[in-house]
Amino acid sequence: MVKKRSMIMLAMIMAIVMIISACGSNNNNAPAATKAPEGGESSTNTEQGQGALDTSEAVKLKMVFVGPKPVDYDSVFAAVNEKLKAKINVTLEGEFLDWSDWAQKYPLKLAANEDFDLIYTANWAGYNDQALKGGFLELTEDMLKTYMPTTWKEMSEVNWDQAKVNGKLFMVPQNLGESVEKLILYREDLRKKYDLPAIDSPETYATYLKTIAANEKGITPFTPETGDWKMHNLDRITLKQQYDWNLFDLDIPLGFKITDETGKIFNVYETPEFKDLLVYYKDLADNGAWSKNVLNNKNDHQQDFREGKTASITHNMGTLGSLMALMRQTNQFEVALADINPNSKKSQAVATQNGVSVHATSKHPERALMFIDLMQNDQELHDLINLGIEGVHYTAVGTEKFQSTEKSPNYTGFSFWGFNSPLNRDNESFPEEATAMQKGWDSSVYHYPLETFVFDNSKVKTEVANVSNVMLRYAIPLEYGVIKDVDKGLEDLNKQIKAAGIEKIQAELQAQVDAFLAAKK
Amino acid sequence: MKRNGFINDLIKYRAILLMLTPAVLFFLLFAYVPMAGIIIAFKHYDYAGGIFGSAWNGLDNFRFFFESGDAWRITRNTALYNIAFIVVNNVLQIFTAILLFEVGGKWFRKITQSILFLPYFISWVVVGAIAYNLLNFDIGTVNSILRGIGMEPIDIYNTPAYWPYILTIVSAWKMLGYGTVMYLAAITSIDTEMYEAAEIDGANVFQRILKVTIPNLYPTVIILVLLAVGNIFRGDFGMFYNMIGNNGVLFSSTDVIDTFVFRSLITSNDIGMSAAAGVFQSVLGFTAIMLVNYSVRRYDKDRALF
Repeated sequence: MVKKRSMIMLAMIMAIVMIISACGSNNNNAPAATKAPEGGESSTNTEQGQGALDTSEAVKLKMVFVGPKPVDYDSVFAAVNEKLKAKINVTLEGEFLDWSDWAQKYPLKLAANEDFDLIYTANWAGYNDQALKGGFLELTEDMLKTYMPTTWKEMSEVNWDQAKVNGKLFMVPQNLGESVEKLILYREDLRKKYDLPAIDSPETYATYLKTIAANEKGITPFTPETGDWKMHNLDRITLKQQYDWNLFDLDIPLGFKITDETGKIFNVYETPEFKDLLVYYKDLADNGAWSKNVLNNKNDHQQDFREGKTASITHNMGTLGSLMALMRQTNQFEVALADINPNSKKSQAVATQNGVSVHATSKHPERALMFIDLMQNDQELHDLINLGIEGVHYTAVGTEKFQSTEKSPNYTGFSFWGFNSPLNRDNESFPEEATAMQKGWDSSVYHYPLETFVFDNSKVKTEVANVSNVMLRYAIPLEYGVIKDVDKGLEDLNKQIKAAGIEKIQAELQAQVDAFLAAKK
Repeated sequence: MKRNGFINDLIKYRAILLMLTPAVLFFLLFAYVPMAGIIIAFKHYDYAGGIFGSAWNGLDNFRFFFESGDAWRITRNTALYNIAFIVVNNVLQIFTAILLFEVGGKWFRKITQSILFLPYFISWVVVGAIAYNLLNFDIGTVNSILRGIGMEPIDIYNTPAYWPYILTIVSAWKMLGYGTVMYLAAITSIDTEMYEAAEIDGANVFQRILKVTIPNLYPTVIILVLLAVGNIFRGDFGMFYNMIGNNGVLFSSTDVIDTFVFRSLITSNDIGMSAAAGVFQSVLGFTAIMLVNYSVRRYDKDRALF
């Protein structure tokens, strides 16, 4: 009896397996089968469309943004759509990936080939990687000239070049030089209280941190940004800025000196400068400059700074400037920005810090490009997508500035930055000294040959994965002074990173750099 | 004749078969159908090609895992942690279930059960935060108490040696209620006549527990353990990631396959390489469950899972 029953069971299961797996494979095949014609269709469309831009067909574009959906999405996007409809017969629909898990969802959107037309992209959001994997549509010069003439006219060539991966363009970068240099934001009131010298060098910064640690119980002198590991903000200040280096990828410890014409790559961990830095960090750690459990801290450093729990943080100019503006409005503490490497070469402006890509399988790439063109260069639409509805979410001040309103928080927080352009309005309350500092940097931008180089790591993926693991396991504890013996720790680190294959990555990178430089000459 | 029997049986057991269908469908859809995706582990995944169209690349995707030099350490960690969890959790759960059964008192039992069950519903993210607030060096409760009574604070988050114990305790605390309810159900279904007979024979409480309750629990224990063994090479990612996070100091004793793979591939997003690690875990898990089931079979045929 028992046996019979299990036979039935088995038969049932087998039958269902067959039915379902048949369904399943059909489903799996479906998108693959339809994909090919789609691609062909779109390319023919582009060719046909080149003469006159035909917008008679109403098109709905879907764009993926990172960051949470703004509270007033409906009203703002309705206003955007009204304008878009009139101009290019397009309606826009936004999809939003929350900050908490965008990093997991973003690649999946592309890998699963979901149905959308545009996606926010950026160097820090895996642009190179996704472009190499074929997630984005290649944009040819013809397409740009035809569908986004204004952008083509306005955008400088350096920006386009920076956005090229292996000589091919997959992104419309922002038309704005954005400084990626990191700065320090600290408590000016505390500095004055202890009568400390102005913070303008690593040494004076160390003095500040140590003084706080010794005298201000309950305030953590420095809190790093959660999730910002490997080559983190402070490293970038103390290594990259201080010695005029640059790194190719914050997940690989390979750098070069920006003044070096030959583009010689070196392993950062093997340099005497890195060793000096470790001594500097260790001294800070031993003096309580950061929490002993800094590696497990999950607090938001900006929040902590605002609440007076921490006395300094690092981030880029835009973020820190906004935070200062906010803190000045609420009049909490006296805060100030510090550039501890005033004499270093500020290599400004990576245009790929923000941008927009067209999805490889978008059915309407031509309309998508026309859309980006408008968003970047039409003042009305640009203001709408960036700031929301005038009078509600912001108040315009002249043509270049704006004032935030009570409702501002209802339309912000997601990556509208992809459309950044010279039309951007500045926040009126943005601290003047930050603007001044930025202007100073802008006037002395240092351009170097490898500025537009992009590393294609597809041949050394295994090694990159292993190296990134070693960095997290050996380098980060070492940097935060958790490992007691610095020399031994550094020796271990270098041994492990070699075993993980850093030399192979370095050789591959050097070969690509050499080829890049040779082609430039 | 036989076919008739089959159809007859189908009709006869239709209610039971109908009840079974959702579970069968669930596993088919979410466990069997996706199995076709295994081929990703042997492919160089690109978006245009998708799952079936991408080019094959042999065992290339497996290289990262085995060439990392950590393969043995993390595989061992994963298995040892899971074995510890299985043993400790089951012993504690059985113990608590028997205790609750013997102590009785309907209200007491219900309330205790609910309280024990509570941690099961707390997400690992929250547990991680609670642990940090208990254990961190500067303001953690444990160290505050230690300082309060004049002892040296201990730097738990930088000492790998403590973590196997901490993780085992946390796991036991979180799973206790769930397992207890399961064992309690099993105990309640034991024929009360056996207890009555034992009592008449003059058995005391301990003898009753040892000679009646525990032997009757064997089948449940074996099934639960066997099911757990299948996952022995899968680290509970939620647990390890939220408790340890990116703290490299602790990796030597807390890194499991899942966290290692996540960390290595989060930046490169290589689906093929992650799939390779998954296949590796599945093959090991399959081997483990077959071996254990085989041993149980040899010991007692009726108790084996299959």
